[in-house]
Amino acid sequence: MTTQAKCPTCGAPLTFRPGTMVVVCGYCQSISARTDRDPRLIGKVAALVDTGSPLRTGQEGSYAGRAFTLVGRTQMRHPLGGFWNEWYLALSDGRWGWLAEAQGRFYLTFAHAVNVPIPTPESLRAGSTVNLGDQGLWSVAEVSEGAFASAEGEIPWMVDLGASYRFADLSGPNGAFATLDYSEDPPLFFTGREIPFEDLKLKASTSGPPPVPKVRAQNLPCPQCGAPLPLRAPDETQHVVCAACNSLLDASEGRLAFLKSLQQPNARMFIPLGAQGQLGGVPLTCIGYLLRSCTIEGERYPWGEYLMMDNRHGFRWLVESDGHWSVAEAVPLGEIRRVGRNIAYKGKAYKPFQHSDAVVDGVYGEFYWKVEQGERVRVAEFVNAPVSLAEEVQRQPGGGEEVNWSKSTYLEGTEVWKAFQLKGTPPPADGIAPHQPNPHWKTARQLGLWMVAAFALLVVVLGYEVVTHREKLLFQQEFNLAERIAAAPPATGAPPEILFVSKPIHVEDGTKNFALTLSAPVNNNWIGVEGALVNEATGASEVFQVTSSYYAGSDEDGPWTEGNRKETVYLSSVPPGDYVMRLAAVWDGPVPPAPTFNVELRMGIVRWTYGFLAALVLAVFPVLGWLRALSFEGRRWQESMYTTTGLPSGDDD
Amino acid sequence: MRALYALAMLGSFAFLGTNAFLGREFFGDHKRLELPPSVRQTPGGYRTFLHNHGFRGGK
Repeated sequence: MTTQAKCPTCGAPLTFRPGTMVVVCGYCQSISARTDRDPRLIGKVAALVDTGSPLRTGQEGSYAGRAFTLVGRTQMRHPLGGFWNEWYLALSDGRWGWLAEAQGRFYLTFAHAVNVPIPTPESLRAGSTVNLGDQGLWSVAEVSEGAFASAEGEIPWMVDLGASYRFADLSGPNGAFATLDYSEDPPLFFTGREIPFEDLKLKASTSGPPPVPKVRAQNLPCPQCGAPLPLRAPDETQHVVCAACNSLLDASEGRLAFLKSLQQPNARMFIPLGAQGQLGGVPLTCIGYLLRSCTIEGERYPWGEYLMMDNRHGFRWLVESDGHWSVAEAVPLGEIRRVGRNIAYKGKAYKPFQHSDAVVDGVYGEFYWKVEQGERVRVAEFVNAPVSLAEEVQRQPGGGEEVNWSKSTYLEGTEVWKAFQLKGTPPPADGIAPHQPNPHWKTARQLGLWMVAAFALLVVVLGYEVVTHREKLLFQQEFNLAERIAAAPPATGAPPEILFVSKPIHVEDGTKNFALTLSAPVNNNWIGVEGALVNEATGASEVFQVTSSYYAGSDEDGPWTEGNRKETVYLSSVPPGDYVMRLAAVWDGPVPPAPTFNVELRMGIVRWTYGFLAALVLAVFPVLGWLRALSFEGRRWQESMYTTTGLPSGDDD
Repeated sequence: MRALYALAMLGSFAFLGTNAFLGREFFGDHKRLELPPSVRQTPGGYRTFLHNHGFRGGK
C-alpha cells in the first residue's frame, strides 16, 4: 500500500509505494529510508550527471502488455569511467522492474530466485559459463563493480551513499541478459533481455522536462591551449583529445580537465572528426578515431577505428585496415557459442583466424570510456566472410574483467566514401582481409548451376541421338586386289591405279552421318583407300581417305605394335539420293601389301566423342571458376594463424 | 567469365547439335566436293581429280 511521508530535511511530500526502500526528495535531493514511522534521513545525493537519457521519472509506458511507471533511478559509476542509469519500473501488477541504460542500450530485468548457491564474484571469469540451476547456463560478460553516484525518485533497495557494489553481467541466448547483484547477501539475480527503446512504449513525461535531443554538441576551450574543442557527445564523453595540442582531457565531470600530453603517431584519417553520414539507413557522426595495432612475430600490423555515434547515442565502429573497411557493432556474449574450435553465432559457424594483443597507439577525438594510449586488450578473431566476430578481453582496474564481442561486416571502401560523401576515391585495398567476401564464389556458383543445366541438356541431346541413331549397315564388300592387279595390263613406271566402284547405295535420311571402316590383313605395312561417296546425278561427293596399317617388332624394351588393321573415318551426312562409292587403293611398292581389303559403310552413328568434347568445354569454365575461388580462399588463409580446419598453422595433428 | 562461358555453351551445343541433328562431321580426313560430270563419267580421271595430292601412310 502506498504511504505518504514528509522529507525529513525540507518537509516536501514523499511517496513510498510497496517495495520502495528509499526516496530521493525532488526538492532538496535528500535521500530518506522507509521505516515503521517517519522516514529516516540517509544523506544527500549528488546532482545527476546528464547522460542524455531519453527517460524521465514519472514517465508511463507499457511493456509486453503491462503498464508501468518509471518511479526512480540510480546512477552508477563504472571503474573504466562513465555512468550508467538503473531505472526502476513500478508495474501495474505490483512488481518491480530494473531497466539498465548504457550507451544507448536498454536492458529490462526482473528479480528471480535461484535454486542453487550463487558463485562468488571472485570465482567468476569473463567469458566463462556459470550454471544457475533452474535459471540455466549463462555466459559471464563482465565481472566488475559499480559505485553509487546519484539517484532520484523511489528506489527499491537500501542505498548506501558512496558504496560500491560488485556485480556480474551475464549473457544468454536470444538476447537474454542477467545480472548477479552482490549488493545484498545472498546475492540477487535479475534476468531479462536487451530491448529496443521503442518497445517501452513510453508516453510523454508528466513530471519532468521533455527528453532533450540526443545529440547536442558543445564547444569548450581546451584547458591547455585554449583552442575550441567541439564535444559531439558531451553526455557520454569521458576522454577527449585536443586536436590542436594533443592534450588528453578528462570530460567526465562536465568540464575539461588536463590529464597529459600525448605523443601521437602519424595517422591518416580518411573520415574527419565530426563528419556525418548514413550507413545502412542509420545516421552516424564520427566522434573519435583510434589507431590500434598488434604485433605478430615481430611485425606490427596497424589499423584504424572510427568511433561512430548514432542518433540515440548508440555506438558502432568503422574499421579500416590496409584499405579494407568494416562496420562493427557489439554482440551479446550469450549469442556466442563455442563449438569445438569454432564459434557459432546465429546459426553460422565462424573459424578462428588470429589472436593477439591489440594496443591503442593513437587517440583522436572523444570517447565514452577513459581510453589511454597503450590500452591493451586480448583479441581473438573468427571469420565467416563477409562477417568476422572479435572477442576482446579487457582487465579492469580493481581486478574486474570484461569480455566484449563485436560483429564486423565487410564494406567496400566506395560504400564508406558514399556514406560520408568523402572526396576522391578510397585507397586500393591491400591483400585479402580475413572476412573479405570471396568475389569469385558467386561466379563459381553461378557457373556451376549453368553447368548442371548444360549437362542436363547434353544428356537430352545424347539421349535423342541414342534413340534416333539406329546404326544401319549400307554397304559392305571385300575387294580383291590380287585379282584386279592380275587382270590389269602390265604397268610401266608408276604403280597401277586400282579403282573399285560399288553398287548403288540408296540414302534416305539426309541428317545422319556415316562411318566408313577399312580393314586389311597388312603386316608391317599399310594400305590406304582414297574414296568418295558420290551422287552420280548431282556430283555431290563426300571425299575421304582412310588407311589400314599395322607394324610390330621388338626392341630393348620388348615387343611393340603400332597402327591398326581396322580404321574408320566418319563422313558428314549427304542429301538423300542414290550414291556410289568409288574406292582407289594405294600402297607403297609394286605389290599390294594385302591381297584383299574390306570396306564397310554404316549410317547413323552415335558420336560419343562429340558429347565428351562438349562436356569437357562445359566443365572447363566452372572448374576454372572454382579454382579461382579456392585460390582466393587459399591466399586468405595464408595470412591466418590457423588452418581452415581451425588447427594452428603448422600443427598437423 | 560468365559471358565467355555463355559463348562456350553456345559453341558446344552448336557443335554437338550440328552433329546430332544434321549429321555433320568435324573430324577426320574427309571433305565435301562437287564433282563435275566430266570427272564422274571418266573413272580414270576421277582419282587424280580427288586425290592428286599424294597419300599419307606408312610408318
